[in-house]
Amino acid sequence: MNRLADSLTRRKRLVGFAPAPAPSCGPPPALTRPKARRFAELCAMTAVFAGVALFASLALPRSARAFGDVGAFDPRVLIVGDVPGAARPSAAARWSWELIQRTSAPGRLTPTHVRADDPAVVDEPFLWLSGVNALASFTPKEISGLRTFFSLGGLLLVDDAGVSDDGTPSAFGRSAREQIARVLPETSPITLGPEHVIYKTFYLLRRAEGRVAGQKTLDAIVRSGQVQVLFSSHDLGGALARNSTTAVGSGGFSGSGAWENPVTPGGELQRERAIRLAVNIAMYTLSSNYKDDQVHAPFLMRRRALPSAP
Amino acid sequence: MNTRLAINGDLPAWAVFVACALAVASLAVLFFYELRRRERGGIVIVLTGTLAVAALLAAIARPIRIAARESVIGAKVVVLADMSRSMALPQRGSRLRSAVRDAALAELAKKAGETRLLVFGFGEGAAFALETKPGAASKRGPLAGRSDLTSALRALATSAEERPQAIVVVSDGRFDDPGEEATASQLQALGRTLDVPIHTVATTSDSPADASVRRVSAAGAAVAHVPLPLRVEVGCAGGLACETLTVTARELREDGPPALLATGLAHLKDGKGVVDLSVTLDRAGARILEVAIAAPSGDALPDNDRRLMTFNVARERVRVLHVAGRPTSDVRALRQWLKSNASVDVVAFFILRTQTDTPNARQEDLSLIPFPVDELFTEHLPSFDAVVLQDFDAQPYGLERHLPQLARYVRAGGGLIMVGGQNSFVAGGYANTPLAEVLPVSLDGSRRAVSAEIVPFTPTWTEEGRAAPLLAKLHDIVDEELPSMPGTNVLGDVQPGGLALWTHPTRTTKSGAPMPVLAIGDQGDGRSIALGIDGAWQLEFSQLGARTSGRGYGAMWDGLLGWLMRDPRFESGQLELVSPCVAGIPASLRVRWPAAKTTKAESASRPERIRVELRRLDKPDVAPVRVEVDVPAHPNGTTNAVDVALPPLEAGGYTARLQAVLGPTTRRDFACESGGDEWADSRPDRERLRALAAATGGTFHDAADDLSIALPKPVVVTAERHVVPVAPAWMWTLLAALMLSLHWFARRRSGLA
Repeated sequence: MNRLADSLTRRKRLVGFAPAPAPSCGPPPALTRPKARRFAELCAMTAVFAGVALFASLALPRSARAFGDVGAFDPRVLIVGDVPGAARPSAAARWSWELIQRTSAPGRLTPTHVRADDPAVVDEPFLWLSGVNALASFTPKEISGLRTFFSLGGLLLVDDAGVSDDGTPSAFGRSAREQIARVLPETSPITLGPEHVIYKTFYLLRRAEGRVAGQKTLDAIVRSGQVQVLFSSHDLGGALARNSTTAVGSGGFSGSGAWENPVTPGGELQRERAIRLAVNIAMYTLSSNYKDDQVHAPFLMRRRALPSAP
Repeated sequence: MNTRLAINGDLPAWAVFVACALAVASLAVLFFYELRRRERGGIVIVLTGTLAVAALLAAIARPIRIAARESVIGAKVVVLADMSRSMALPQRGSRLRSAVRDAALAELAKKAGETRLLVFGFGEGAAFALETKPGAASKRGPLAGRSDLTSALRALATSAEERPQAIVVVSDGRFDDPGEEATASQLQALGRTLDVPIHTVATTSDSPADASVRRVSAAGAAVAHVPLPLRVEVGCAGGLACETLTVTARELREDGPPALLATGLAHLKDGKGVVDLSVTLDRAGARILEVAIAAPSGDALPDNDRRLMTFNVARERVRVLHVAGRPTSDVRALRQWLKSNASVDVVAFFILRTQTDTPNARQEDLSLIPFPVDELFTEHLPSFDAVVLQDFDAQPYGLERHLPQLARYVRAGGGLIMVGGQNSFVAGGYANTPLAEVLPVSLDGSRRAVSAEIVPFTPTWTEEGRAAPLLAKLHDIVDEELPSMPGTNVLGDVQPGGLALWTHPTRTTKSGAPMPVLAIGDQGDGRSIALGIDGAWQLEFSQLGARTSGRGYGAMWDGLLGWLMRDPRFESGQLELVSPCVAGIPASLRVRWPAAKTTKAESASRPERIRVELRRLDKPDVAPVRVEVDVPAHPNGTTNAVDVALPPLEAGGYTARLQAVLGPTTRRDFACESGGDEWADSRPDRERLRALAAATGGTFHDAADDLSIALPKPVVVTAERHVVPVAPAWMWTLLAALMLSLHWFARRRSGLA
């Protein structure tokens, strides 16, 4: 493995999976008139080739269609007790939308809800629990359902939507930890520092952020090396929530609308970093600790040394 | 009946001795003193004195008459004749060593006289009795692959039979045990096992003109992907001139010509040379390695210019290359299973961003690395035991140009699993490519091909799937139940040699057969699996998964990867040679199939007929040999094994492929050699025979010389014996008294006291 990593680091002549920039067909402002004509001819030829390529791609037997949304990232909202639903109802769909736009991962644009005592709680590997108010005690059936979910290796994100701007957890945040402790009494949350894979599953992040900056780290219950419960005191959903973010038709999606909550204190740059954290969490759900593989190490170490930018 | 006189048996030997000594002394005194006094009746005194002494001696000895039925029995001498394959080597003058040995045996028998000569053969293990009648030499069966004199002597020593009084060894001296390096003290210790002299007869004096691979020794066990040091000893004898010999090590493969693994030059001194090679075997299981020399002209024995070694290559860990086209729950589940399996070393590459994605970040802020497709599928590909292509489109990432290499990799022994998804199989651009040829299913490469069926369905178990050991664990966990799948890749018919384990409940292939969903197949030396769904993770996350604690998913992949890696637990049968294969001699393959847990299951899993196909690894153009046998109800007293007799085979590497039950085929590679270890060193070893004789008190002889060996004398054995006193004891006493009285009277008459 190390040999492969070294080899990859050494060699420059690699076919990167990251795509080359798409050719632009607008004449650059610095071009002279004959050059502009030649550029137009080039564009025309490009268009012809693109047409031929499109025809060929249609003629070839590559009419693949996804097997539905099964297997895609589903930010399923977990409902417990008398909580009616997610604290940020529009955030889940936005989360999937951002994931689809930014990565190759599939996501459900119409995320689902599931009750903790519903047998269907084990149908997907991810759950999202958010709220503002204190949670009522979990019922034995809810505890049993969640334990089954965790025993299969599922991941639960507990997102404190009521966190104050200075990062003080809300009643929800405190009660959620108490209830999760009843579900998994043998384990305690630990702090996930910036070296954890969750900060590098897609984006290289230096800290956790959401609607509020809060503490720099996430807390998690880790079992058998896998994060099973992720505690966020940043109101991640608050940064993602955007009105009019709804599904249009089958597969289409409208990303219009306005952000529902201001992000403090970093503004839109902080929102972007919060979205990146959400994408990373989704990627962690779908690819596990893939970025911890040794083959990635030299690349990531080199990039960590560079200054960050949103 | 023989009759003879003897003294009474109740007298100890010393008493007889003392009596005789006294008698002789008395007579001496009598003759010395009395004969000089003739004037006083000396003659009479001497005569009566002699009679008196004789009568006294008779009174003491009290003679008896013995009538006995006796026979003379020659001493038991065991002749140990070398029955190893080295006896099939030719002598000078085109005579075989075995012919010289048989002539020596005949000569020994002729000169044995009264000696009881028992002729045994030695080779592997205990000595065995040989038929010595004329013409019996041709009926002695196959020659042994070893010449183990030590085991033969120890077996004689521990036998309950009468111990021999001498041993005669007839051999060329090229023993496996005692070895060439055995010291005199070790040979003496060997002689003490029987404590009798060991005479030796050398059959051979001259070495044939021969260059050979004398020994190949490996340092440790063979492990896949790990360099294996080999020490190759070569030699030249019989006046053959060779200062250097080129040594090559090649792996025999089914998919093509032998692959050269290493080569070296051996410099010979005093007819011997050593070269160290390092070979790396990438595939686990039984692998055939050919170690050969380029012999100089004049080599009289070309058969020992190459050795065919069977290495059982183990794995430290299974190296898996996992390539996924996009992260999904199916990718996550497979990755977590691979990472949680301590016996798997996984190298993963997932495509996390496509050309149409807009991550809204600089490259430096992304954790993405280039996908090293060229390096992975050229330089590093042989280092992997299996490649998993999961939902991966070949075209955008440049894999298309490596598909021929990937197909060769599979045929050379690699494993391939293609897992379904929107970018797999037909949709991934694999139809009409070399890779499609090594998949267990056909792919429709026409323009109107449909790549996916998106109607939810539940896969159906086939009879082969239920019977296949690789899915037995999963079947035990979920029984017939499988999770509902959101769709499937459209796959074609199963390729020849493949098997469908799951099929679509309604969709059919062009031939009308149920469309395979999970299929497996052998491809040359390798294996491949096609799993046309991307919802197998629901064996873990679903109501079914919750009921079974998610064990079904791991059980399925345990079986699939295990079968791909030829783990015996997941084979539908196992093949093993009953004894080492020798060219020209019928061999046997033992076929085993998994033991069933119940009698009912046993009758269902027991094959009625077994087919074994043999193919040459080093000569692929030779027509395969097919052997079929019926399986009796209770073969060999066991319930899950049967021996399959093979016809005589030529020297070379073979792969035996078994089709036993409903499950997939299984195979075993093995080698047949003409001479093996016994021909590796064709030189006779007279010195070892000479040393053995000297160390044990025996004598050394040459078979060409006079074989008059000083053997032990015969012994007399009495079968019936009658003992009768010549006269009663009182009569001997009375006679002695009378003789003494007469002597006393004569002395008194002559004036003596």
